[in-house]
Amino acid sequence: MIVALILGFALLLIGIYGMLSQKNLIKIVIGFSIADTGTHIIIVSIGYLRNRTAPILNSAVDISKAVQQVVDPIPSALVLTAIVIGLAVTALMLSFVVELYKKRQSLSIDDYQELKW
Amino acid sequence: MVNPIYIIILSLAAGFLLSIFDKSGRKLSLIVFYSVLTFNVFVIADWFYRFTVLGVSTLTINTAGFSAPLSINLQLGIQEAFVLLFANLTGLLAAIYLIKKFKESNISSLVLYLILIMGVNGLVMTRDLFNMFVFLEILSISTFALTILTKNKKSLSAGFKYMIAGGVASTFFLLGVVFVYYFTGNLNLDFINPSDFTNYGLIAIFLLSIAVFIELKPFPANGWALDVYESVNSGITSVIAVVNSAAIIFVFYKIMPLLPQNLLNIFGIAGVVTFFFSNLMGLKQTNAKRLLGYSSIGQMGLLVASIIYTIHSPNKLIYLIVGGFFTNHLIAKAGLFWITGIVKKEKIKDWGILKENKFLLILFGLLLFALSGIPPFPGFWAKWEFIKLLVHGKMFFVVGGILLGSLFEIVFLFRWFTIAVKGEVPSENPKISFEFSKYFSTTIFVGITLTISVVIMKYFYDFNWFQFLPLIAVVVLYFLDFIPSKIKGFLSLIAVGIYGYFLYPFESNLQLFFGIIFIVGSAINIIATLNRKNINKGFYGFLLMMIFSFGNLLIAKSYLEFFLAWEFMTISSFVLILRGKKAQKASLLYIIFSTAGAYLMMIGFSLAPNLTSNSALIIAISNINLPILVTVLLAIGFMIKSGSLGVHIWLPEAHAEAESDVSPFISAILLKAGVFGLFMVGISYINHVPAFDMFYWIGWIGVLTAIVGAFLASFQEDAKRLLAYSSMSQVGYIVASIAILSHLGWLSALYLSFNHMMFKSALFIAIAGVYYRTHTRTMYEMGGLIKKMPLSFISVLIGIIAVSGVPPLSGFGAKWLIYSSFIERGWYLQAGVLFFASAVSFLYLYRLIHTIFLGQLKYEHQNVKEAPIWFLIPQVIFMVGIMAISMYPNLIIQPLNSIVGNYFNSSIIVDGYNITSSLGNWNGNMIMFVTMGIFVVPLIILVLLNGRTQTVKQFNIVYAAERPESPQTTHIAYNMFAHYRKALGGWGKPRIWNFWHETNEWAHSLSGLFRQIYTGNGQTYILHIILYIVVIYFIMGV
Amino acid sequence: MDIMIKILYAVISVIVATVYGLTLGGVVQKIYARVHGRFGPPVWQPFIDIIKTHGKRVSISHGIMFYLGPVFRFAGGLGTYLFIPVIYGSVVFANFSMAGDLLLVMYFIFFGQLGMALGAGEGGHPYSPLGIARGLSQMSTFELPFSLAVIAVAIQYDSLNITTIVAAQQGSILNWTLFTNPFAVIAAMISLLGMNMHSPFSLVLAPQEIPIGPPVEMNSSFLAILQTNRGLFTAAKLVLFMNLFFGGATNLLIMIVKTFFIYLVSVIVGAAFPRFRPEQSFRFFLKWPTIIGIISIIFIVYF
Repeated sequence: MIVALILGFALLLIGIYGMLSQKNLIKIVIGFSIADTGTHIIIVSIGYLRNRTAPILNSAVDISKAVQQVVDPIPSALVLTAIVIGLAVTALMLSFVVELYKKRQSLSIDDYQELKW
Repeated sequence: MVNPIYIIILSLAAGFLLSIFDKSGRKLSLIVFYSVLTFNVFVIADWFYRFTVLGVSTLTINTAGFSAPLSINLQLGIQEAFVLLFANLTGLLAAIYLIKKFKESNISSLVLYLILIMGVNGLVMTRDLFNMFVFLEILSISTFALTILTKNKKSLSAGFKYMIAGGVASTFFLLGVVFVYYFTGNLNLDFINPSDFTNYGLIAIFLLSIAVFIELKPFPANGWALDVYESVNSGITSVIAVVNSAAIIFVFYKIMPLLPQNLLNIFGIAGVVTFFFSNLMGLKQTNAKRLLGYSSIGQMGLLVASIIYTIHSPNKLIYLIVGGFFTNHLIAKAGLFWITGIVKKEKIKDWGILKENKFLLILFGLLLFALSGIPPFPGFWAKWEFIKLLVHGKMFFVVGGILLGSLFEIVFLFRWFTIAVKGEVPSENPKISFEFSKYFSTTIFVGITLTISVVIMKYFYDFNWFQFLPLIAVVVLYFLDFIPSKIKGFLSLIAVGIYGYFLYPFESNLQLFFGIIFIVGSAINIIATLNRKNINKGFYGFLLMMIFSFGNLLIAKSYLEFFLAWEFMTISSFVLILRGKKAQKASLLYIIFSTAGAYLMMIGFSLAPNLTSNSALIIAISNINLPILVTVLLAIGFMIKSGSLGVHIWLPEAHAEAESDVSPFISAILLKAGVFGLFMVGISYINHVPAFDMFYWIGWIGVLTAIVGAFLASFQEDAKRLLAYSSMSQVGYIVASIAILSHLGWLSALYLSFNHMMFKSALFIAIAGVYYRTHTRTMYEMGGLIKKMPLSFISVLIGIIAVSGVPPLSGFGAKWLIYSSFIERGWYLQAGVLFFASAVSFLYLYRLIHTIFLGQLKYEHQNVKEAPIWFLIPQVIFMVGIMAISMYPNLIIQPLNSIVGNYFNSSIIVDGYNITSSLGNWNGNMIMFVTMGIFVVPLIILVLLNGRTQTVKQFNIVYAAERPESPQTTHIAYNMFAHYRKALGGWGKPRIWNFWHETNEWAHSLSGLFRQIYTGNGQTYILHIILYIVVIYFIMGV
Repeated sequence: MDIMIKILYAVISVIVATVYGLTLGGVVQKIYARVHGRFGPPVWQPFIDIIKTHGKRVSISHGIMFYLGPVFRFAGGLGTYLFIPVIYGSVVFANFSMAGDLLLVMYFIFFGQLGMALGAGEGGHPYSPLGIARGLSQMSTFELPFSLAVIAVAIQYDSLNITTIVAAQQGSILNWTLFTNPFAVIAAMISLLGMNMHSPFSLVLAPQEIPIGPPVEMNSSFLAILQTNRGLFTAAKLVLFMNLFFGGATNLLIMIVKTFFIYLVSVIVGAAFPRFRPEQSFRFFLKWPTIIGIISIIFIVYF
């Protein structure tokens, strides 16, 4: 799963790069979303343990030895929450973009810097 | 006893149900909304009471039927309860403040608000890292959404910037949480072992902590916060700045035990850097809310630094320092944000509108004073103890950063205050609309901060009622303010008398002497204020506060008591000066210089060894060996107050612009507080003489102050500025005489102090009378008033003779003592300069009396009357005093001789009226009689021989074969010493003024330069955050 | 009874000094005239002037302070003189010198100047304050080198008591301050040029610019008092200088000779130089004499 970890970090960096380099508000939100996804992949990857099964107590797992046989369930649980939160944030961001566009008919972040200094 | 988890449950449930309730009308949903918020406050208040008073132990709440770490657990201890009490209370009050908005807006605002409050409660109580992330996100999302409660372009774009910045920060937080779990196998704070973080583990803890730290808005990664503060509705801003900040700072506090020391140190420094730079950048700010934003992020930096640096201190101290900064900042900031919402003026220069609304002005002033760390507000005590702690830890750069930052803060906060009090009322919308809910919240907060102040003074420090007196005076007179001014004046006079009676049994005669100057001098000067008409709101309260703090200075038994009285004195005199018509700039200058001096004193007192006896400070200090640095710092502090050269520029402004019956207090009495302080330093110094002869240089400064002050006085056109510079010059003599550190020197300093108190009071009151009648202070606009105001003339005449040192009046005694002491000590060149200064003083003294009272009377002053009786009474008293000690110098020399005898062996022989020093002698009584003889004999001869004299009219003068028509062209007054100025050439340039002016310009330019990093572009802000994280990472050096 | 004798002596002393001072003034006028190539007035002309002005039929006053101005001035002259021990060892001429020391004398000089300035100010004539402004400014500048010289003398004799200073200079001519502390004497003598207000320092009375300056409105008896004072005050100043720098005097004759020669310095300079402008004069005093004064202190402290 080291590949997933590297991939996650790569996505995170790509996302941040996107946020920094793109002028379009929607693209910035997409950048954030990519970074967020990268984070999620990182979380999942560090919970993975080689040669183990999913942390579901069914016939595939001997309940008395479950701890040795399943992957760490906590990161998986965490990532679900994180995805939900990420979704909420992304949605809110997009609704802000919509409102901003309604006010000024522009999607360029350079048009929204009258608050400064 | 309600389980605090119900706070979360109820808030959440009510939040979801609100939209259903709203179907049956907004009234119901509002009732539910406010009851839930109130419920939260009561639950937490109940717990807080249990923890503090009943001593209940910390409560742990397990969820889902398991105990930690298998489940998430919440914890409510005294610290959590304290933070939550504030957060929930602020939440409730902010909601009340916003009630009008909530009535109109979409129901979702109420829901979001409840969710926000829930998030805060959860964030503070939870012990689980991931749960913390969840609550943080709940808090953030609801906050983001609430920023557009008033939907306009500014708040939208600010909200968007806030969101992407917050998003990036929370991404890092999440990564940190996961890596912490990866390295420790645990998410519960109570079970994570910090020693598990080795090598790569450090990255985990770094990511976690830096994310929280970014949320605390460190410089320079905080542009988004400023934009939010500026643009969002004041009520919501107060929630973001106070409620959210409180929760996040507590999160930081919770994860602190996990952090390695070097990272903590970095964060501590970063906090101080944030404090310094945000206050520096605030200098240039003109938008009220953005200014508060700068102040807010600065205070957060200070709060972080205080948490980090106090971590190893005793609990009581932590509560005082961190708790002090916490409550002080949050209350003041919330209150001020609310007031900006009431005033609705974006630009600070429009805030002159506040003076139309006295009640709001008082609230504003109190909150502003609290924010600037002025006693008795919690910030003052916190700062005092914090600086002491840092100084003992030898962290001088941190101390410097904090104090310099605080000074910048003082500059912009007090500039704002002076504008509010004295600024112009803007022409459009000159009314502040009244909304009960907004006033209610603000008033409650002011009440709370005052209560906390009293609690600190009473329970932390155990001050007695005497130390409270200055405050009591203000409060009592505030409630008596409806009484006519005259009655209040008499009451004040009685109050000062009673105060003096209680103060009287002094431990030493030196205190008694200064007691006479401070208390008796003030009492006589109060008589002049009885001339005031109408009500004069607030005047006597602050006057009494100032007088009582003078007295408290004398009996202060510890450094803190002294400093407290000193600060009370500063703030009350500041308010008094600000009452002057055009005193906006003058009072600002005064408070800036005073505060700078006070900060130096604060460091000095922190460094000073502990007192060993329980006597008044001025006595106890004789056993204390002050390090040389302390002596220097204290001396500079006191010399700023006494207007020494280099730091004198506040003096002429303050003296001249204060109301004319306040000026005598400022000049004749307030300056002596600095003199008293210098004596205090001197008393320690003479008992433990260090290698570096600092007083030699103080002596030179005093001497140069005397000469420069005299020259500056000679070139003034304004009578009060002239007298002000004269005071500077005279106090220069006093300072120089103290610096001699000999019997004769201190004798001269005390003698001159007393003398100066009398003649300068008399002169200022005389000029007050002239101003009262002629309505001008510009001397060349007057002239010939001797015939209209003969008594004032006599008073000024006696005054200037006493200043000049011409025999037979008391001034000569001062001159004789001073020169004798200088020559005896071997300070010859200094004595020469003083001679010169004394000769130059004739220039301004003659100018004063001539241009006002002699020469040609102006037409518009034909009907001017003598000054009112209330001005004449104190003048007569002072004149009698001057004449008495002139004729019988023993009246004062004998007691002074014995006072100084406590410190030095007597070097004079007093035989009858004859006083002999090692160099010469002086017999004041004989001089007086000889002078009277040689004056009266020619006078009698003249009167007898010259019976034919006839008095002629104004223009009957021998004038180049024509008869002058207009007094304006015949009265030589304007720029009287033009030739002298010409002769001085380049020496006459106002170099010191220019220096301070340049300093000011530079500070503002730097401020303008630094704040350009906040480009307003959301991407730049993200870049700041990313770079900040990288830089901190490299500084940490993992 | 003691005090009555004291006063009697003082009266004698004052009369002698006044007569001497006025005569000296007459002599100097004569000298000036001869330098200018005129015949000049008789040496008793100052006495004639006093009697004549006093005899004027019209006497005008501008107010109470104007009336008192000349009184102040004369009292200043009297006081300055009376606080100086004129002749070393003489009871008659010891005056009231026991009331104070050198500092008293220096400050009593201001008494008359201040009073006169106030009186002249009430006269309401523009030339008066002009002259006073010049006078005060110039006074402040020549006071600096003079005070430095006085400090040097005080260091030298470790006393500010005039009698002590004179006593220390007795015995030989080489004991005079003139020889023991020459820089102080030079500085003080230059200051004396300013005090005596002869050219080039005659700013105050400057006849062609601000005709006679402060006393311009003074007339009849007022002017007579001022003229009397001029004699007494000149004598007082010269005696002070004689005491401080030229060994004092043990009898009247020596006093007359010494003070005459001290005065002659001012006269010679005055006859030879034209008048300075005000700022030139101020700058002059703040420059060279001040430096010499500082040198005199350094000289006496370190050599």
